[in-house]
Amino acid sequence: MYFKILLNYILGYVQIEIEGYYIERFINFCHQQKIFLWNFKKKTEAAATFNVSIQDFRRIKPIAKKSRCKVKIGNKKGLPFLFYRYQKRKIFFLCLFLIMIAIFTLSHFIWNIEITGNETIDKAEIEKILQENNFKIGKSKIGLNTKEVINQIRLQRNDIAWVGIEIKGTNATVKIVEANLKPDIIQEDDYCNIVATKEGRITKISAGNGTPVVKEGEVITKGSILIGGWLEGKFTGTRYVHANGEVWAKVWYTATAQVPFKQLKKEQTGNVENKYSVKINNFQINFFKTLSKFQKYDTIETSKKLKLFSNLYLPIEITQKRNEEYTEIEVTYSKDEAKQMAIEEAKQKIEGQIKQKENILGEQIHEKQTEQYIEVEVIYEVLENIATKEKIVF
Amino acid sequence: MSSPQKRKRAKRESRLDRLLEMPREITSNEPKITVIGFGQMLIENYKAILEYQEFYIRISTHIGILNINGFSMNLKEMTTDDLLITGKIESIDFESITD
Repeated sequence: MYFKILLNYILGYVQIEIEGYYIERFINFCHQQKIFLWNFKKKTEAAATFNVSIQDFRRIKPIAKKSRCKVKIGNKKGLPFLFYRYQKRKIFFLCLFLIMIAIFTLSHFIWNIEITGNETIDKAEIEKILQENNFKIGKSKIGLNTKEVINQIRLQRNDIAWVGIEIKGTNATVKIVEANLKPDIIQEDDYCNIVATKEGRITKISAGNGTPVVKEGEVITKGSILIGGWLEGKFTGTRYVHANGEVWAKVWYTATAQVPFKQLKKEQTGNVENKYSVKINNFQINFFKTLSKFQKYDTIETSKKLKLFSNLYLPIEITQKRNEEYTEIEVTYSKDEAKQMAIEEAKQKIEGQIKQKENILGEQIHEKQTEQYIEVEVIYEVLENIATKEKIVF
Repeated sequence: MSSPQKRKRAKRESRLDRLLEMPREITSNEPKITVIGFGQMLIENYKAILEYQEFYIRISTHIGILNINGFSMNLKEMTTDDLLITGKIESIDFESITD
């Protein structure tokens, strides 16, 4: 029954007021002719209202005449009347139509490329490869061969183990799994020397196999052979072997740092101005003057892509430019302060390089002072195993 | 009021229909009255409306006349077979035709 009412809403219906003393007769005539009436309400003794569909309304007129009732049309409801009312608004419908076409066509392009899974590889490098293979923002989704792009990426980079391109809406996600490059493994039965990875003074050398070439206390340079991969016998002559062993040496790490006595220090005033601009594909519209009212300021740019739903990106980008004003203050440090700062700076530089901090044997600090700045050189002495295997090439 | 429907007598339920367990309101033209609460009433297989006032509705069916008393009653939906009445229903009584 509700289905019938809904259908009548789509096809259109009218609210009718009927006046007369033979309303029951009118109802029974309608019943005989199978006319569907609903919401029949009696208003007064001789008047009632009801709803009837447009098609049945034409058939009602003779019935009303027969039962001596007056028919008055009240409200017209339903979609046909709604459309009739909007018939004059042609431009409105034209724009609606155009918007729908625009959304439909724009959703066939890629408007956002996301690259995930890269840890050591730079995003820009992958974007470059993608662009070379004609996979860029603004490309049509139709006729796009992702397999070819994937193959190209895998051919060009051997540090990528797996690439997947997933296109959802207007958003393309490039997933990357990086391959960790394995160092060249020297087989157990290959002949090899042991060479130094760093320069230093040897403190201990213990050869498991092979002939030690250097002695304790000797200063060696990087890459020089420590344990030769050969054995010499009286009767056998020279025989090549797979050398192994440990070589411990004192290695020096140095770092210098300069700290001027007079320094300019930034201090933020707290004054901030926000500027917005809209970027449509590559066309930028600024809503501000490009010049800032501040003399000295830091600029932070954040941009956000518009999207309709979670995956339907539009080619519109809103960029916020935040200018933070700062003032420069001149600070003068004393000699001790500057020295301390320089030492800390230098130490920080070194400590990034040292892997085993417990093996630090000692440190030396040299300083050099001029009128403008103080220069500090920090030397760390570290005990390290500098042995590494190198294949003998004949 | 000389419709052929009115002349027709109440259809009897046949033996086959009873065997197949067909619903009686379909096989015979006896009315089926469903009352939901005190506010809604569905009458299937009705013949005509004899009288309609807000407080009193008189409906003829094939086996008799149905009187409904109440307040502010509307004929919500009227199709060829069904009639839905909404409003405050106070009492229902029947006047069966005896041959």
